[in-house]
Amino acid sequence: MKVKETAKKFTILYVLIGLIVLFSILNPVFFSIQNLTNIFVQQSYVIIAAIGLAFIMISGGMDLSVGYQMSLVGVITALAIMWWELPVPAAVLIGLAAGIVLGLINGVAAVYLKVHPLIITLGTMTIFQGVSYIISNSNPIFGLPDSFKYLGQGYVLGIPVSVILMVLIAAAASIILNKTYFGRYVYALGSNEEAAHLAGVNVRFMKICVFMISSFFVAISAIILVARAGSATSATGVGTEFTCMTAAVLGGVSFKGGAGKVWGVITGVLILGVLSSGMQIIGLGTYPQYVAKGLVLLAAVGFDTYQKSGKVKK
Amino acid sequence: MENILSLKNITKLYPGVKALNNFSIDFRPGEVHALLGENGAGKSTLIKVISGAVAPDEGEIVFKGNSYKKMTPAISRKEGIEVIYQEFNLVDTLSAAENICLGEKHGRFVDFAYMEKKAADIFRQFHIDIDPGTPVERLSTAHKQIVEISKAISKNCDLLIMDEPSAPLTVNEVGAMFEIVRALKAKGITIIYISHRMDEIFNIADRVTVMRDGEFVETLDVDKTDRNQLIRLMVGRELSGNYPQPTKPSGEELFRIENVYGNGDEDVSFTLHRGEILGLAGLVGAGRTELARLLYGADKMEKGRLYLEGQEIHISNTSDAIREGIGLIPEDRKEQGCFLEQTIEWNIAFNTIKQFSRQGFVNDKKVEAAAQKYQDILRIKTPSIQQLVKNLSGGNQQKVVIAKTLAAQSKVIIFDEPTRGIDVGAKQEIYELMCSLAEEGIGIIMISSDMEELLGMSQRILVMAEGRIQGELERSEFNQETVLKYASVG
Repeated sequence: MKVKETAKKFTILYVLIGLIVLFSILNPVFFSIQNLTNIFVQQSYVIIAAIGLAFIMISGGMDLSVGYQMSLVGVITALAIMWWELPVPAAVLIGLAAGIVLGLINGVAAVYLKVHPLIITLGTMTIFQGVSYIISNSNPIFGLPDSFKYLGQGYVLGIPVSVILMVLIAAAASIILNKTYFGRYVYALGSNEEAAHLAGVNVRFMKICVFMISSFFVAISAIILVARAGSATSATGVGTEFTCMTAAVLGGVSFKGGAGKVWGVITGVLILGVLSSGMQIIGLGTYPQYVAKGLVLLAAVGFDTYQKSGKVKK
Repeated sequence: MENILSLKNITKLYPGVKALNNFSIDFRPGEVHALLGENGAGKSTLIKVISGAVAPDEGEIVFKGNSYKKMTPAISRKEGIEVIYQEFNLVDTLSAAENICLGEKHGRFVDFAYMEKKAADIFRQFHIDIDPGTPVERLSTAHKQIVEISKAISKNCDLLIMDEPSAPLTVNEVGAMFEIVRALKAKGITIIYISHRMDEIFNIADRVTVMRDGEFVETLDVDKTDRNQLIRLMVGRELSGNYPQPTKPSGEELFRIENVYGNGDEDVSFTLHRGEILGLAGLVGAGRTELARLLYGADKMEKGRLYLEGQEIHISNTSDAIREGIGLIPEDRKEQGCFLEQTIEWNIAFNTIKQFSRQGFVNDKKVEAAAQKYQDILRIKTPSIQQLVKNLSGGNQQKVVIAKTLAAQSKVIIFDEPTRGIDVGAKQEIYELMCSLAEEGIGIIMISSDMEELLGMSQRILVMAEGRIQGELERSEFNQETVLKYASVG
């Protein structure tokens, strides 16, 4: 029984390892340090945003506006450097602050309009999109300085800066969720909001906090992405929300809330990354990759439900 | 044909459990036959075998002289077996008449006149005043149940199975339902009646069968048995069957509330003494749960003052209440009381998790120690405190909810329907626990719709109706009629 449960807990890891083995057999080029490192570096910004979204999902909410938050934060940060000619650290701080404000907007709207966050963020997503394009005037912002690009392209002791940031954030998120009472409150909100309320949790405050934390991570993710690209456009980061959602669900974050682990989210993102890279290497283009990603997601959730309903029957 | 239905040597295995073990039982035509047993005794499985929802592994079912290896839902319905489950099977947006005639074909098009006439005929038989055209969602719980019953009768059933029909009803409504059950019996319909409430069985049933752990224990004529015997048979061990009583409270004031308004309640004042169990009686909707939520800070108090141990306290949210030492065991343990997907340990420590933390970090040792301590005190039956709460029985889940409140060192605990839906053995344990808490000097406010339990446990009873306190009874004045008289004021 114990063994079986542990085995089930790590199913998602086996899937990742299985995919790596599969692609390595199909084309040995896949299994090179170079390629595996690439996957990791490419996915680091997605992992950071996905961890942010996971906070919201664990608390029982949802955020569709992740992509346009990234777009808006990217544009604002780039503007701060290029138009206002602020030093890079100040511009980054402004970008992060802008991100947190977007989270605050989402959180306050969700709490006071008393509508499911899915709908709220459907609305704010559209607003953020509009604002982002108004600010950028649909033009890309080029010529970001090297000191800024360093965040997305630089190395410290041979390790990419983005990977270092990702590891730090994953560690911080994991500690918050597992070791602090705040983390328990997040799980409690997602498991049973009414019980949390009766247990003395300030539900409104918590919801707003969770949105702000998530948006903070998303803003970091946006800055890394823009720094890697070397330029910002209003299209930067758009669509990331669905990648994040797919990865989170793959990694065992419950859609109803109350369950999920940081390592699961990371594994989920890496599975998607390995699929992309592996299929590219064996010569399958972007569109077959979409089909494969969709199938993997359906297989994962189907397997999960099948196991659960199997239990009920017993 | 002496028996309308006989089950012979039925065995039903689920992985790891014998839900029914070589079980035989007979039902006579036109009787009200009660099934009694603790949770997990096999009552639900028995109903499912009869209605055809599950097939037995062994045994024979004889209905109206025909023998079956197993029933199927289609056969049982065709032969005249209907089941009314605890959860209503009604389409909320359709009218009462449409629900009653659901699944029936009459003519080529929907014939509203026919349906309404049919529904009205049935309602008239029972002297019930429901407009057949009313959408079900606008009916009261009691009326919804009448629609359920009418639906079953309209199929011309001979055997009606009622699974805890009184659970959602108030005292008056239960009385009305009994009238219907008697009328059905007079028409020769056999009724299998399942209930946890002993007084109902003595009120309505002709015979009662006790089951325990999937086995048949005994079938008795109701007028030849008594409460204590039934409990003994059901639990399989001697239980006092009496309500434990704490030593007489000192009379020292612990918690005083003055002129509280809010949540539909008006001008509520009373004093709770140290070590006292104060009962709050009233019909559903009288404002008792609403009052509990006000005192606990779960809903906003418009006006009023609270004094704990002589000091005025201000409670504007639930965390204030927990800090001041007021605890609430909410009425719906699954929806409000616990986190089913989390572990026992996690649940027990949750109300006080801040106190078990330093600089925001949870001290796992303190959490484990507290969980272990309250698991022992409350005798929560589980192999490990790492078990998920959803895997526990109702009684043990309730104990987890209580442990959560105890861990917060409450001085006043409000128990809202503490024994709803849990079995006799666990009920007794919860009564004993309440007494020992009272003896430690904790003040207890107990809300219960089970009149017997309320009269048995309380030292004093306040009766509420329409959001106000209508009367106060000392233990020497306790009786059901007086309580009901105050409860139906207005």
